[in-house]
Amino acid sequence: MSAALSIPTATARADRARRAWRIVLAATLMGALVVGSAILCRVDVVGFLPGLFQGLSVLRFFFPPDVGSLAEMVGPALVTLLLAAVATPFGVALSILFGLAGAANLSPAWLRAPARGVIAVERALPEIVVLLLLVAALGVGPFPGVVTLAIGSVGMLGRLFADAIEEIDARVIESVACVGASRWQVVRYAVLPEVMPSFLANAIFRFEINLRASVLLGAVGAGGIGLELQKAMALLEYERAMMAVLVTLALVFGAERISDFLRRRVLEKGGLR
Amino acid sequence: MLHVDRLTKSLPDGRVLLNGISFTVSRGEFVGILGASGAGKSLTLRCILGLTKADAGSARLVEPDGRSFELTSCTGRNQREARRRMGVIFQGFNLVKRLRVLDNVMIGRLAQIHPLRSWLYGFTDAEAEEAVQALRQVKMETYADRVTGSLSGGEMQRVAIARAIFQRPSLFLADEPIAALDPSNSLAIMKLLQPLSRTTPVLGVFHQPEMTARFCTRVIAIKRGAVVYDGAPGLSHAELEEIYGDELMQVLRPTPPAAPPAGSEPGPAVGLLLPNHPS
Ligand SMILES: Nc1ncnc2c1ncn2[C@@H]1O[C@H](COP(=O)(O)OP(=O)(O)O)[C@@H](O)[C@H]1O
Ligand SMILES: [Mg+2]
Repeated sequence: MSAALSIPTATARADRARRAWRIVLAATLMGALVVGSAILCRVDVVGFLPGLFQGLSVLRFFFPPDVGSLAEMVGPALVTLLLAAVATPFGVALSILFGLAGAANLSPAWLRAPARGVIAVERALPEIVVLLLLVAALGVGPFPGVVTLAIGSVGMLGRLFADAIEEIDARVIESVACVGASRWQVVRYAVLPEVMPSFLANAIFRFEINLRASVLLGAVGAGGIGLELQKAMALLEYERAMMAVLVTLALVFGAERISDFLRRRVLEKGGLR
Repeated sequence: MLHVDRLTKSLPDGRVLLNGISFTVSRGEFVGILGASGAGKSLTLRCILGLTKADAGSARLVEPDGRSFELTSCTGRNQREARRRMGVIFQGFNLVKRLRVLDNVMIGRLAQIHPLRSWLYGFTDAEAEEAVQALRQVKMETYADRVTGSLSGGEMQRVAIARAIFQRPSLFLADEPIAALDPSNSLAIMKLLQPLSRTTPVLGVFHQPEMTARFCTRVIAIKRGAVVYDGAPGLSHAELEEIYGDELMQVLRPTPPAAPPAGSEPGPAVGLLLPNHPS
């Protein structure tokens, strides 16, 4: 609209032409990438659709779900929930430590660099890699799962926490330091009050992520409902597998509702009080 | 008493920011610092507080009991001891916004309670009651439970003063405490600071020569990092012109009326409740 009102000058026209060319170029590149990778991965478009229908027809083996196995699913579901419920607080506690140590406006360089380094490495490592390494070291069971999720939480929450602290107005921190407060008092009375609500909201969100991840990790050795699902599939007990899927859905969906509610409360009221 | 002696500060590139600032603030004084923006007023206060390290010179705080603190050279515990004796009135927006007003006031005494208690328990009821008294002094006691971020600029400025009062310092320092306020709020704040200075000296940076002329006992002017005036608060037009140069016209605003005009912001008439304010 503003373009129609202003008189198009030669430079404005040239600008727009250049922009148009850039869009065309980007679209061409994207197209080439998609087609190229499809060829590389041998995506068979013609064979894909019948395959899809065949896959869908397999779904009928999953119905009706084996309601009788529900009782056996409750235990593993609780294990999965427990895995996330134990791992998240540990992850949160570690994240607070690493976040404080990694914030440029609080911690000295010799501490900040390694803390940020650890956070970055944890972010880069996929959870499955961590779990497989830990299973090799600690054996199969829920414990390596807990450690994996706790470590994974630090990669995300530690980073968010450190960044949030760095965004606090330096003058607010100075104004507390100027009454003679120690560094830890500054943390307690200026830093934590300013960043805690958003940090809590992120931690609750991370619990949701950890719950979904703990289903997946269950299938590769952490136990719980994920393991149940995997066993049923391996034994071709599809109705039982379907029941495991339904229990998982209920678990994750329920956790999501609760987490949504808590998160909104934390952000609106600034705390859980 | 505050003795500032030949404070010097330069940038790495050689630009001189402070070029030998010296002055003294004694009991009973309300000293206003004037100067164009960029003259080095804030930097002087920052050097006194140890927030910025001076290259040379010294600042010394001498307590009524004779204890003395070398402000420019002390660090760690000594520095915290010294800072706890200086009540800094920051601009109000530097309060911790998510805390209650009362918590922001009580922060003033963090250095005077045991660190472990400050972490685990917080302040006692007696301390809270005293903090409410400080709020009462600035006419803000009804705001004690409000979240600080929801206050107006003038209200936050009063809370910042209450924090400094609650700290029970032996010197008040203020950096442009009325810069962000409208005339009637500015006047109210000046009327708050003036009686404080009778018992505890106040050193404040101001941008309104008419305010310092009316309320201060002495004025110091800083120009390009040096003190160019130190004396009676009433400065002549020629002297102000010398201090401010091109900025003079921005600084000389019409003097606000002695009482906040009716129908202006419904802030409390602070001055009226304090004893001995000038009529
Ligand atoms: N950290 C800093 N780095 C570089 N220059 C600074 C720094 N702090 C202040 N200055 C410069 O010092 C001069 C004085 O600043 P300041 O004391 O804030 O001025 P004012 O008198 O307006 O309060 C200004 O020219 C400013 O640009
Ligand atoms: Mg300044």
